[in-house]
Amino acid sequence: MDYIQEGFKEALKLLIGFDKEVYGIISLSLIVSTTATIIASFLCIPLGIHLGLKEFKGKRAFSRILYTFMSIPSVIVGLVVAILLSRRGPFGKFDLLYTPKAMIIAQTLLVTPLILGLTYSLSKNRGKEIERIGQTLGGNKLDIIILIIKELKLDLMVNIVTAFSRAISEVGAVMIVGGNIRNRTRVITTTISMMNSMGDYPMAIALGIVLLIISFGINSLIYSYSGDD
Amino acid sequence: MEISIHNLKKYYGEKLVLDIEELKIKRGRITGLIGPNGSGKSTLLNIISGLDREFLGTVKYDGKLLDKDSYKKMTLVFQKPYLFRRKVYENIEYPLKVRGVNRDERRERVKNIMERLEIEGLKDKKGHLLSGGESQKVSLARALVFNPELLLLDEPTSNIDPESVKVMEREILRFNEETNGTVIIVTHNMEQSERLCHDIIHLER
Repeated sequence: MDYIQEGFKEALKLLIGFDKEVYGIISLSLIVSTTATIIASFLCIPLGIHLGLKEFKGKRAFSRILYTFMSIPSVIVGLVVAILLSRRGPFGKFDLLYTPKAMIIAQTLLVTPLILGLTYSLSKNRGKEIERIGQTLGGNKLDIIILIIKELKLDLMVNIVTAFSRAISEVGAVMIVGGNIRNRTRVITTTISMMNSMGDYPMAIALGIVLLIISFGINSLIYSYSGDD
Repeated sequence: MEISIHNLKKYYGEKLVLDIEELKIKRGRITGLIGPNGSGKSTLLNIISGLDREFLGTVKYDGKLLDKDSYKKMTLVFQKPYLFRRKVYENIEYPLKVRGVNRDERRERVKNIMERLEIEGLKDKKGHLLSGGESQKVSLARALVFNPELLLLDEPTSNIDPESVKVMEREILRFNEETNGTVIIVTHNMEQSERLCHDIIHLER
């Protein structure tokens, strides 16, 4: 049991002492996951609303495929991105593999179906009524999409947070495309995984605590916002 | 705005829910649509307002087929109002905003219509938190604020208090008299149709 206690003590030392490496890892994790979530949100929220409202042939099949992709394993996404970005791959010339950019691409692809699927489902269930009102009040298509985003902003924020949580907590994709290179592509989850296999618990515990604090902070923010509404 | 309907048929699957050979709704009149449940009253309003565009036959506004411009000139108030999750003021302001009306004029018009419907006190309240009667008055204010040429009302006063009904009826009549706007109202209340309507159309099942 001592090593667990020691682990916690060391972890607190690292955090309180503003250990450069630990904070570098934390900031890279936040940058990668936040950027991926923002990119996916900008693309998927208007698209998801549009698709949810629109009636088209094969909508049911589309829903099933989309919902399947929502739970796509992160290692699969990592593998696909790694193949595409590898030197012999179609995007090899951009030399992106094992860089934070590759990690952002992988996480964007990982959370895209999640945000798209959740937004699509929300729009299909609750968007139609808002669309009807928007139409009768003279709104054009763009006005109506903006109106729906504003009306459903709380639910959309929960979707975005869900996607961010998936991004920041995944290990498979960033490990494959980032390579877990010290001071370059090492993020919280890949570090925890590596430290655990090395039996070096203090940093793993410190980063685990940070991951929990991030989750808690984001959830608190959402709840306080919804309380105000 | 005059509406002329010719050979209108609406099916839900195989079922024919609306069948109108010929119908004219005159400009500047208040027309009541009455009939039993399932006779297609709300369906007709949805077709006229452009919410339902899958039908057979023709519906013309002032001699022209339905188009984007004609939809912009009309509005529909539903039986169960949906107010946006924002302030009452912003709810009423919305149709003016999407029509590009400037801020000062918007403020003036919203203020006037709120006074008329006696809802000035609700200005800063959130729309989705209002009572039934308050919601319906806000919903009517939101419809009237841009002076539509055609006002469609789908049982707007069912399930609300008599005082609110009185205020709403007064404003529907005033709208019609002052702007010569056409009104079509679905109602089950015969006394209301007598109080409000110049013409009555009875739809059979």
